[in-house]
Amino acid sequence: MRQGLSRLTVETIDGILEHVLENEAAEIDLRSVRFVDPYALLLLSLLVLEGIERDITPQIDWPDTPAVRRWMTSMGFFSDIGDSPRGISTARGGQRALQPICAIADEEAVGHVVDGFHRRLAEQYPLPAASRRTLTAMMIELFQNIPHHSNATGQIADPHGIAAMQDYEDSIFLAIADKGIGIRGSLGLRSGYERITDAQALDAIFRDGLSRFADAGRGGELQRIIGIVRSWDGMFALRSGAALLYFDEHGGDIYDVPRFPGVQLAIRIPLRLFDSGMVDPQDRFQFNGEHAE
Amino acid sequence: MASMQSEAFRIAQFGTRLGTRLEGERARVQLETLLRALPEEAQVRISLEGLEVLSTSFADELVGKALQHVIDGEFGDRTMVLETPSMELAEGIDVKLAQRRLALLCRQNGRWQLIGFRSPALDETLQRIIEKRQTTARELAAELDLQMSACVNRVARLAGLCLIRRRKIGMKGPQDIYELHSIVNG
Repeated sequence: MRQGLSRLTVETIDGILEHVLENEAAEIDLRSVRFVDPYALLLLSLLVLEGIERDITPQIDWPDTPAVRRWMTSMGFFSDIGDSPRGISTARGGQRALQPICAIADEEAVGHVVDGFHRRLAEQYPLPAASRRTLTAMMIELFQNIPHHSNATGQIADPHGIAAMQDYEDSIFLAIADKGIGIRGSLGLRSGYERITDAQALDAIFRDGLSRFADAGRGGELQRIIGIVRSWDGMFALRSGAALLYFDEHGGDIYDVPRFPGVQLAIRIPLRLFDSGMVDPQDRFQFNGEHAE
Repeated sequence: MASMQSEAFRIAQFGTRLGTRLEGERARVQLETLLRALPEEAQVRISLEGLEVLSTSFADELVGKALQHVIDGEFGDRTMVLETPSMELAEGIDVKLAQRRLALLCRQNGRWQLIGFRSPALDETLQRIIEKRQTTARELAAELDLQMSACVNRVARLAGLCLIRRRKIGMKGPQDIYELHSIVNG
């Protein structure tokens, strides 16, 4: 596959998935790629593992640009897929990884992983305390979704939950991914939701804050995080099965995408927000204005 | 009402950045053990002092579920309140209590306010009971310029949420007469 693809990102990775999984093609040509975002990197990693499980081990031509390969190496990508491509220079240069790929195996590990992300963020950016707290609380909620939901049926040998973070000149990019049962698979465990589609499952989370648990206190976390990211004019992508909820500062919707197992999520937050103390907490929790009488 | 026993429960004993539902569940075991160990009508003051981050999931697993058990009567007449150095830290609890349609008295800078599922009417009635420490629905209805039935409904809701205590002191016709007590000092 020679696409002349120059950017492997949340906007373009689905073309690769479609090529490999729907066409059962093993060749992936990334030689022209000059930029990879963390979401695409995690999905590429999961794709390699998924391909191996389906006996279509991808043959990948890695990016020609040394800086891109160095970044992928520093992100721990090749370790994650158990490969070591030839010709990667050890010379310094290019962008360093803010937070390399990290495994989220179980709930016990979430606290340590979040502490690591928090520490790297704090070392690099003098964010206001309130901003770091908000980001950390978001990570806790997002990371624990993997042990809570990715293998809720107990049918997945290894959901391979992973997360990574990268900073850019104008934004911070957080990506979290697994190849578990997906949102439809999780919500489908709840009575009345057994036959929903992937798009309906995303919609139920986005609009209704639904959880697979009937407990009134469960659910709503993703909905709240989506609301926060929207209020920051950030980018949010939540992919599960054959549906993608995507929006950025220009708007968004739920789109059809090539089917892929699990849940993959990306958040891009403009760095400028951290200079102004982010948002008023009162703006974030609108639904708490409900009246008891 | 005689002064009640009150015990502090510092969440920061479990860490400064909390956390997952698993962490919240473990903390709740200790909170509920403390509640059981206290005498009837005692109170646990959940303190957020020393915390950096409190996630909504942890908040729900610890405070939301424990408060639901208090309201369900699992701990007799024991009550819970919250103390926080900043309202921002209590946001996760506020959100989850609202989601569960529960409410809790929260003190910040010496001032009590309601967090969770609240309304101006409940706030107004509760603040008046806190100020008076002890009153009756009839007194409240007169002071708040409410119809007696509306006042009784508000009071019943506050009592149902364990935000005040009611003591039956008699009957007037078919209706029970209650004395109303604040669970905190104003």
